[in-house]
Amino acid sequence: MVNLLNDIYKRRELLSLLVARNLKIRYKNSVLGFFWSLLIPVFLILIYAVFARMLRFDGGRPHYLQFLVIGIVCWQFLIMCLNDALNTVSGNSNLIKKTAFPRLILPLAMVSANLVNFLLTTVVLVIYLLAMHLPFSHLLWLPAVVLTQCALCLGLALILSAANVFFRDTEHILQILTLGWFFLTPIFYPVELQFTIIPATLHWLAFLNPMSGILCSYRAVWMSDPLPPLAFVGLSFAVSWIMLGIGILFFQRVQSRFADEL
Amino acid sequence: MSDVAITVEHVTKAFRLRSGGTPTLKSAVLEMLGQRGRRRFEALKDVSFSVTRGETLGIIGANGAGKSTLLSLICGTMASTSGSIAVNGTISSLLELGAGFHPDLTGRENVYLYGAVMGIPRQKMSERFDAIVDFAGIRDFIDQPVKHYSSGMYVRLGFAVAVEVDPDILLIDEVLAVGDADFQRKCIGKMEEFRKRSKTMLIISHDLHTIRSISDRILFLDAGQVLGIGKPDAMVSQYEGFSAQKNTHSVSREWGTGEAKLTGVKFFNDKGEATNRYRWGGALEARISYETTRRIDDPVFGFGLAAENGMLIYGNNTQIEGVTIDHIEGKGTISLKVNQLSMAKGTYLFSFSLHSSDHRTNYHRLDNMFPIIIESEKRFEGCSYMPCQWKK
Repeated sequence: MVNLLNDIYKRRELLSLLVARNLKIRYKNSVLGFFWSLLIPVFLILIYAVFARMLRFDGGRPHYLQFLVIGIVCWQFLIMCLNDALNTVSGNSNLIKKTAFPRLILPLAMVSANLVNFLLTTVVLVIYLLAMHLPFSHLLWLPAVVLTQCALCLGLALILSAANVFFRDTEHILQILTLGWFFLTPIFYPVELQFTIIPATLHWLAFLNPMSGILCSYRAVWMSDPLPPLAFVGLSFAVSWIMLGIGILFFQRVQSRFADEL
Repeated sequence: MSDVAITVEHVTKAFRLRSGGTPTLKSAVLEMLGQRGRRRFEALKDVSFSVTRGETLGIIGANGAGKSTLLSLICGTMASTSGSIAVNGTISSLLELGAGFHPDLTGRENVYLYGAVMGIPRQKMSERFDAIVDFAGIRDFIDQPVKHYSSGMYVRLGFAVAVEVDPDILLIDEVLAVGDADFQRKCIGKMEEFRKRSKTMLIISHDLHTIRSISDRILFLDAGQVLGIGKPDAMVSQYEGFSAQKNTHSVSREWGTGEAKLTGVKFFNDKGEATNRYRWGGALEARISYETTRRIDDPVFGFGLAAENGMLIYGNNTQIEGVTIDHIEGKGTISLKVNQLSMAKGTYLFSFSLHSSDHRTNYHRLDNMFPIIIESEKRFEGCSYMPCQWKK
């Protein structure tokens, strides 16, 4: 593990180069490029907002639109990482076959690029929330939340990017799983809605889904929602970091076979 | 710092060949259940050798011998199935005509990308950038995406980058084949300079002449196994002899009634040493052993000498030369002497025959089965020299 970190540190220039390359491809048309990557969450928000109004659904809470916006923007960060993960290894076969470097840098660079994208999006998000006069709280908590989501994204990206080298149908499986995961996560409804279904003693089950704790935390920071019990949020965070551990172990175990398969 | 740059110990590399198509979960499950298992192919089998610091090791062998796989294992893009490889120093490699360039990036971006992959600070790469571009000779194209490069430009840039990052160990897989004569000269010059600075090099090439002159030692691989490692001259001749032997399969055949058999042929040079390499103008002796199942009267021994493609250049037999053999029975040998080999340099195939004096019965014929190699500096047109004089 120390060796791995050391190897990655030695190639930090490669990492920054790959991050820049990732972003360059995304923002090929500079300013307009970033505008496009904002459009997707805006569109999603519009669709859900319109349907929620038609169905007279407001999650039984005030500031439903802001609630929805935070949920979707943060969910998009995860989804972008998962979708990009499919090609981070198999799309770089030239580099993998011809040069030697710690392969883990590829998913790491991809998640970092998406993080940059996410942070830029949150700048817009924060401006919007400020305009809505929503108070922030627990601001010190924010870095830990972002870092934990990164750990989750990287852990899953490591598994997906490696798996897609060996099974090309990973893509289809991912689509189904993310669709199910979207509805299991309190994105367009509050987590309290899940509590109405789950028996009181088993409420922690909802927080086995790492995104539950992460989204609740974001909302606590950005719109002063009450934070769920720390044990629940802690469970979500623990699951995230465990995913990272599993991801690293899995990736490192199979990475030596990448060049054979590609 | 130890004196050994690379140690390869009992390395085996196996690939699992897929029956076809891209890997899917279904195919993986079927494999696990043991249906439609993958074939295992060993590209390298129990390969061991070591390279000392400052040494240039040439690697030769036919296509598919495992040369490129070996370099991939040493540079670390692939992992060996078993055995161990220890490398002492930084490695730069040029594998299979490309340094891992990204087709959509420009030449400039790829140079920096390669530097970053090697872990070289951007600052250092900037200092060397001009040298790289000059060496590759593509200044006008450096800001074009490399996918628009010609294969020559691609290789030139790849070689320039791999060399200019100044590694301890340089691995080169067949670059000499692609560049033009001018670039080849530059490459060889650069390699010589590398040698002088006591850097370690591993070079794969099919250009036997060059690899012989540039290598300190040569490793001869065939079908994933080390057939020899040693002095360049000896290894190249072994390889030439070996590949000549392989080539003869298409034109060679063995046939006959079987009443008598040519059981073996041994070749000697004029010093009486067993060899199949001869100098132009030198003498050759072939000792042919035979064995018969019954008494054969008035037999004729013959030989033929053909070019590699099977075209007969010269043939002769005991009858033509007026050597009568009353009869043969049991085991025996007969000797053939050619006093002056006058063919152009290359590989030639000997045929031997044993037949009846009326040519009706062929007891045993070995057509184009024995390759010999002629070495020559004598220049002339065609495949055989004829003594001649010019006068004015």
